[in-house]
Amino acid sequence: MKRIPIAPRPGWQDFAESVGFDFHTIDGEAYWDESAYYQFSLAQIEQDLEAPTEELHQMALDLIPDILQSEQQLTQLAVPERFWDAVRDSWNNAEPHLYGRLDFAYNGQGPAKLLELNYDTPTSLYETGFFQWVWLEDQQMRGVLPAHADQFNSLQDKLEQAFAELPLPQPFYFSSVTQSIEDKGTVDYLMDIALQSGLDSRYIQLEQLGDIDGQLVDLAGFPIQGLFKLYPWEFMLQEEFAATLLTTETRFLEPLWKTLLSNKGILPLLWQKYQGHPNLLPSFFDDGKKPLTPGWVRKPLFSREGANIEMITPDGQSLFEPGPYNDNGYIRQAFAPLPRFGEHFTLIGSWVVGDMAAGIGIREDNSLITKDSSRFVPHIILD
Amino acid sequence: MPKTTCKRSRKAALIFMVPAATLLLQGCGQEKTVEAQVYNTPDECAAFYNPPAQCQAAFEEAAALHPQVAPRYANKQECEADFGTGSCETAPQQQSAQGSFFMPMMMGFMAGQMLNRGGMGAQAPQQSSAAARNSVPTQPLYKSRDDRGTFRTASNAPVASQSGPTQVRPSAVQPKPASLARRGGFGSQAQQRATAAQRSSSYGG
Repeated sequence: MKRIPIAPRPGWQDFAESVGFDFHTIDGEAYWDESAYYQFSLAQIEQDLEAPTEELHQMALDLIPDILQSEQQLTQLAVPERFWDAVRDSWNNAEPHLYGRLDFAYNGQGPAKLLELNYDTPTSLYETGFFQWVWLEDQQMRGVLPAHADQFNSLQDKLEQAFAELPLPQPFYFSSVTQSIEDKGTVDYLMDIALQSGLDSRYIQLEQLGDIDGQLVDLAGFPIQGLFKLYPWEFMLQEEFAATLLTTETRFLEPLWKTLLSNKGILPLLWQKYQGHPNLLPSFFDDGKKPLTPGWVRKPLFSREGANIEMITPDGQSLFEPGPYNDNGYIRQAFAPLPRFGEHFTLIGSWVVGDMAAGIGIREDNSLITKDSSRFVPHIILD
Repeated sequence: MPKTTCKRSRKAALIFMVPAATLLLQGCGQEKTVEAQVYNTPDECAAFYNPPAQCQAAFEEAAALHPQVAPRYANKQECEADFGTGSCETAPQQQSAQGSFFMPMMMGFMAGQMLNRGGMGAQAPQQSSAAARNSVPTQPLYKSRDDRGTFRTASNAPVASQSGPTQVRPSAVQPKPASLARRGGFGSQAQQRATAAQRSSSYGG
């Protein structure tokens, strides 16, 4: 695993905007960064990332039946009690799931360490599945990168296959929060792939979802049979239409049972069951009251994009990322440093579609905490 | 040395996020009319050489839609002023405690999917998917107090003045629920947390 500087393609910004990548720069800061790339060996990809991704995914799924039977664990995961049966039903009815992303600390050697699961509303999908893919093709065409370079990135192929094969009702709706262009970009990309798979796909703003007699309805007032929502389950379960979720016949992507896995509380539960597994870090539930000690990281059960994470490195350096997610419990996780390449700290997001590993996307930050402003950097496989 | 494995997608096409495709979608031109059939009763439908079972099924589909789409009135007088004395009934109760509503009785139905006319029944070839796509929704029809001869949709679009086949524009005969949806029940956490974070950001991660 190496970080190699490379010249950005001239005019890539215009090209990006012409293919819907409106958020390549966020708040004036570069988000897509092609001034460098990471290079992996095929063995690093297959043995250290692809195989552990599928294994950890399976381990996480295997926890679910136990959690559903344990009031203690459901409580620890802060699932509101009135939704326990709905969560159980969504699992027992085998409601299909589409995708997820595991975040790893990995430096090219030794086991990748699982930092968390993003299993409800993972983003950076378009950057990974499309724009990074085109970047490699482009750089090969220009003769800058060798023709036999490859990339761990079958994301679009696997998503297309999933939309073609999953039993989804039609028309199928896609929804995101109006104010986030990044989320709209992610949803547009999923809709694009779904359309290519032949799915009758439609968009509705999350705030425009309606309720008639306990059924979620579209703008015309007709029941929504199927809905992809790029919006956290833990928010939906406490908002005005939460009760509608108990009565509506809508099938959701991701299904409600994913709220158990997108929860940082899954990390201590994984550690309890598979203590010592090479890809897991020691993790425990935490009440958030005692001071943190060196070598530990405290994370809220629910947080996005690095918000509200507190960290003390083994040598006593203290980091805290403020944010709006301080209203539930916490977990404490052993510190695993992100590898450092020059000024850059590097995080690997490893995708799962259905139950298969589907590629990686790399984020860089100039701190040990990866945030929504962290840059996305492409990668190649070359032996 | 030839490549034996490939860890990346074979293609990465976009059809919807690129403007060229949008332009194609916009070039769809004038709306074509399609054939539908309108009848007062299932028996009348069958008398026009339609399979009785299909007539009955279309009637029942329309009758099921009737309470969802029929116009609603707060009292019987207002309803009868539009649809005639004795032509209104009580609407089924909504969950909300808004009291009872009145709606006109269903006076006929429109069969959207082409019926297999002429008793072709089982021998008839499968409808092509194009034909299915070009059909309009089967739905209830109504007659107003001052124009008893005209079949109208729930949203008051006239569709025919006699029973039998007729031509309609699909966009004019899309049934819409009469109930009012509550909206805005999701998204409040995003609002609160965006204010707290003082920047717009993703609710993915």
